[in-house]
Amino acid sequence: MLFQQIINGLTLGIIYALVAVGYSLVFGILRLTNFSHGSVYAFGAHISMVLIGYSFGMLPAIIVSVLITGLLGILINKVGLEPLRKKKSKGISSLITTIGISYIIQNLLMIIFGSETKFFPKLFDYGNVTLGSAIIGVRQFIIFGIALVLLGLLTYVVNGTKIGLAMRAIEQNSKASNLMGIKVNSVISFTFFLGSASAGIAGTLISGYYQMVYPTMGVMVGLKAFAAAVLGGIGVLHGSIVGGLVIGLSETLAATYLGGSYADAVAFIILIIVLLFRPSGLFGKQDITKV
Amino acid sequence: MRNMRKVVAILALAVLCVTAASAGGNEIKIAVAGPMTGSFAEYGNGFKNAVQLMVDEWNAKGGVLGKKIKVVVYDDKNNGEEGANVAEKIVSDDDIIAVVGHFASGVCLVAGPKYQEAGVIEISPSASHPDYSNIGNFIFRNNTIISVEAGAGIDIAMKTLKAKKIGILSVKTDWGTSTATITKNLIAEKGGKVYAHEEVVDGTVDFAPSITKMQAAGVDCVIVVAMYNVLAPFATQYKAVNPNIKLVGFSNAYSEQLIALAKENAEGIMFPAAFFDKSTEPHIQKFVNDYRAKYNATPSALTAQAYDSAGIILEAIKAAGKADRKAVRDQLFKINYQGVTGPTSFDAKGNAVKVFTTVVIKNGKFVQYK
Repeated sequence: MLFQQIINGLTLGIIYALVAVGYSLVFGILRLTNFSHGSVYAFGAHISMVLIGYSFGMLPAIIVSVLITGLLGILINKVGLEPLRKKKSKGISSLITTIGISYIIQNLLMIIFGSETKFFPKLFDYGNVTLGSAIIGVRQFIIFGIALVLLGLLTYVVNGTKIGLAMRAIEQNSKASNLMGIKVNSVISFTFFLGSASAGIAGTLISGYYQMVYPTMGVMVGLKAFAAAVLGGIGVLHGSIVGGLVIGLSETLAATYLGGSYADAVAFIILIIVLLFRPSGLFGKQDITKV
Repeated sequence: MRNMRKVVAILALAVLCVTAASAGGNEIKIAVAGPMTGSFAEYGNGFKNAVQLMVDEWNAKGGVLGKKIKVVVYDDKNNGEEGANVAEKIVSDDDIIAVVGHFASGVCLVAGPKYQEAGVIEISPSASHPDYSNIGNFIFRNNTIISVEAGAGIDIAMKTLKAKKIGILSVKTDWGTSTATITKNLIAEKGGKVYAHEEVVDGTVDFAPSITKMQAAGVDCVIVVAMYNVLAPFATQYKAVNPNIKLVGFSNAYSEQLIALAKENAEGIMFPAAFFDKSTEPHIQKFVNDYRAKYNATPSALTAQAYDSAGIILEAIKAAGKADRKAVRDQLFKINYQGVTGPTSFDAKGNAVKVFTTVVIKNGKFVQYK
């Protein structure tokens, strides 16, 4: 049973990791914790549900939905955050703005789609594989694979491309980057696009796994993914994968041995403990100033 | 100028008359209190629609005691604090004879004492916590107490499904925890044994840890003490691991939403039900058709109980002959109402007495199990 529970925990963990990557990406560039991420994740899931319903093909539907979710990220940045940056307001104002945006998106979803839990079609079903004493669904492997590919892709974009270079330059000094001819606002918008698109992918995959969507689905997942990102060292992309797995695993083991009511608390207890001993997270750089 | 003054005076008088007419009791008000927004909005809106339907039927026949009946709706957001606020608002309105609501037992337990103190009749179509009807003699429920329903559920598991190893999944709320305890004790009384009992917090999405533990215990039938929002994903995730698992639900998970959410994984789930919408009884068919025509939805068991609750209140007002809360309350204890959820009367505590049928999900539909 323990082996099966570990598999369960890793699956849950990779789900948190998928969401955590987006947090980490935006934080890595802007030093801003984007609390609207959970709602963007729910938004992506709802858009996918609608588009898949039009039955013009599963894959095109998901791609369009991910692009739309990415555009929502740009919109959030342009409408909510760019004006604040122009006025040189403190980081905390942006942070609180993202919380506000999160509620706006969530309530819009409730108004448009209703507050009840809705069915999400199965994305892929290739049955189960029996591995020793454990039964593992093939879709668990697929989610794992997609998460790793996504992580690889994002790491490549940040570390291996020209726009990635611009992102890192802005992270170090946005004024100097501007003077060097980098279009700072466009690069930040692109960062938001990437972060939100990854939330869209996560929302779609996870809804397909659990086969349901609802407007508040991003709240708990968002918080735990945030814990995962901080645990792994926010801003470090591979850190969020490790952080996600640790949180997912400990949550499942807590549910197994302490009872389901402790599952939610454990993620945050671990977060607090790690922050006490390693304030910058498992893989974080020491000089990070958190907002 | 003088004409102007006259006009103003007449207008003022007219306004006064209108206000006096509405305050003077030309109508009888029935309040509906429940979650109109949030995760449980489906149930609250069901209450609202059902009560409105019953009241419309009475108003079409000329109301009660020659007065029109008006439904006033309050949203308690399924939250104890909000429920207490709503109760305050309701007891401060003297025209309100009775309340149909609240939805969750937890909210009922908070709001109930306020109604009892003010002497307002409360009939909850859904509360099933044993403590609820002990609040006082103005507090009724048109829902069977949970031990009766749990007993019916256990009979389905043990006799109909011939389960050998029963497991329980319960949701960690007031209702869930107490119902799970009652169910466990009843299983022991009936000579069975619970092989696994897993508790989850409401809103849990991932049931893998609980399912793995139940599988390890060799459970072949799970009694799910939760609403459809738990039962549906639980069924989906359990059947991915073990397609042969048998599931028994409670009547508050018996909702079309369950099938919409779990699709093929809902097949074979069984329920004890006081109300079955595909029954061939003509008065039940009439209610279901009227409800569909007006709201474009099929009424759930709780909605039907809300409909009967409103009917019971109006019958009691008619029998009392006056819109006096105490007189109406006395009539409630004597009533024997032929409703869509079967013949209903109240015992000395204010608990409804009803008979259950077994319902099973087959080919994406609820059917009566024979």
